[in-house]
Amino acid sequence: MGPVALLVLTIAAILFSAGGILVSKFLVRGSVNAQKGQPYECGIPSEGSPWNQFNVGYYLFALLFLIFDVELIFVYPWAVVVKKVGIMALVEIAIFFFILFTGFLYAHKKGALKWM
Amino acid sequence: MLSDFFILMKQELVIMVIIFVLLLLKIGADMSNEKMMNLANGLLLLNLAAGFTGNQPGVLFNEMYVTNPLIVLEKNILNLGTLIISLQSFSWLKKHDHVPEFYVLLLCTLLGMFFMISSGNLILFYIGLELSSIPLATMANFDLAAKRSSEAAMKFIMSSAFASGLLLFGISLLYGATGTLTFSEMTALITGSPLHIFAFVLLLAGFAFKISVVPFHLWTADVYEGAPVAVTSWLSVVSKGSVLFVFVSVLYTVFKPIAGNWYNMLFLLSVVTILIGNLFAIRQNNIKRFLAFSSIAQIGFILVGITGSSQVSSASVVYFVLIYVFSNLAAFGVVALVSAVTGREQVSDYKGFYKTNPVLSWVLTIALFSLAGVPPTAGFFGKFFLLMAGAGKGNYIPITIAALNMILSFYYYLRIVKAVFMDANEQPIERLTIPAYSKLAMFICVAGILITGLAGFVYDYIYALSFGF
Repeated sequence: MGPVALLVLTIAAILFSAGGILVSKFLVRGSVNAQKGQPYECGIPSEGSPWNQFNVGYYLFALLFLIFDVELIFVYPWAVVVKKVGIMALVEIAIFFFILFTGFLYAHKKGALKWM
Repeated sequence: MLSDFFILMKQELVIMVIIFVLLLLKIGADMSNEKMMNLANGLLLLNLAAGFTGNQPGVLFNEMYVTNPLIVLEKNILNLGTLIISLQSFSWLKKHDHVPEFYVLLLCTLLGMFFMISSGNLILFYIGLELSSIPLATMANFDLAAKRSSEAAMKFIMSSAFASGLLLFGISLLYGATGTLTFSEMTALITGSPLHIFAFVLLLAGFAFKISVVPFHLWTADVYEGAPVAVTSWLSVVSKGSVLFVFVSVLYTVFKPIAGNWYNMLFLLSVVTILIGNLFAIRQNNIKRFLAFSSIAQIGFILVGITGSSQVSSASVVYFVLIYVFSNLAAFGVVALVSAVTGREQVSDYKGFYKTNPVLSWVLTIALFSLAGVPPTAGFFGKFFLLMAGAGKGNYIPITIAALNMILSFYYYLRIVKAVFMDANEQPIERLTIPAYSKLAMFICVAGILITGLAGFVYDYIYALSFGF
């Protein structure tokens, strides 16, 4: 891999990302109107400014969801090999669950599951 | 097999157990802040003591995890720094609502650093690095009411995300070029082709962000200023120390074949780092910003030592980090106490400090002398060994520049000493009562500064464990 190849790679990467933006700019016949600038919510006309404060509860639930999401992702490959690895796998997944569950208990103690 | 696992990963497992004890106590028991801190300090002391016994060299998980006597020593140095910081944060933390959380985050960071130091594989290295930097952003935001603290956290997470991006790009190029992620296999495959050099430069940029080497130092002063003092001292000593340990071992083993290339890069970076760090430190009025730029300049000296690439240089880097733990934490201990009790952080606030707080003034002075490198203190020996190691390659230009910069650094260190001892002040900082934990921490630091340099066996011990080429 010489310096030329590296240069070609860099230029190709820039062209690929910049090219997409440029081509769409030339090809698309755009119409500009006020409705287009609005955020898409669910089809009905949007109300008010988008720059208002959101309830922090949404983020807490998203974070808690993440715990179980990661758990699920890890348990799938574990389930494939659990028979082959044997009792060690069971111990390891118990430790893994314990760690995640402690985090969940902490969130529960802090009142993250109460909707305010 | 299973017992191997428990013996080799002992230090990490002990930290894990402490994390869960504190977290479960937070969930299950209502302990007062003071009780919790007593318990946490006790556990950290036990952890430090446990780190010295029953360690064995070995590898685990297909060379993902490596441990040897030098790595154990490095982890013990970090344990020591953690204990000192935990002792010093007492007067700040006792008024805080989230004491167990602070320790849990602190120890999570430490755990990440341990995995990073022990990694024999780029993936584990990256996970360790992230584990050591994401909780740090939370800790930087630990003064929840202060806007400056959130600003510091925001700046830290942004710049560390950028650094991680560069690092990951470097790792992916390296994997593409060599086809392996294991350090020991990679060495033979790195030939110094332009792709390898390019990947190395990206990795170097990622490292340089974490240890704030000059072109990548811009986050340092702002984050140091906004974060609570305990977190600032953690960032400047333990966090940087751990990355330096990995940096040296990666340079000396994985990137050994392209030593000629990185020698030139580090040589340039070190000169620029020392110069800029010193010049900016001169004009700082906030003592935390001042210590930030002084730490940048110190990193420059360490880079000079690293360029030597012999056994002496890797030993002197570890030795200097040990000394740096003592001297920087002694200075931060005084700043932490003053900041926690009075909230004053300007250099001008320290005028007339000696009249009201003679003991704290002496601790601060000894620490600053050690940072500047005045002979009886350990800082002199640390810098002396670093410059000697750098001179081993016969390149005297960076050594001369570094030595001249030591004179420059005297100006700003002594400016603080002058403010403390000589300047008059109408509203000096009132007389502070030093809590027992801070006293203990300061005693450890001052004893370390005075003894480490003179006791030759410390350096001999580190030298015997080190490696070079």
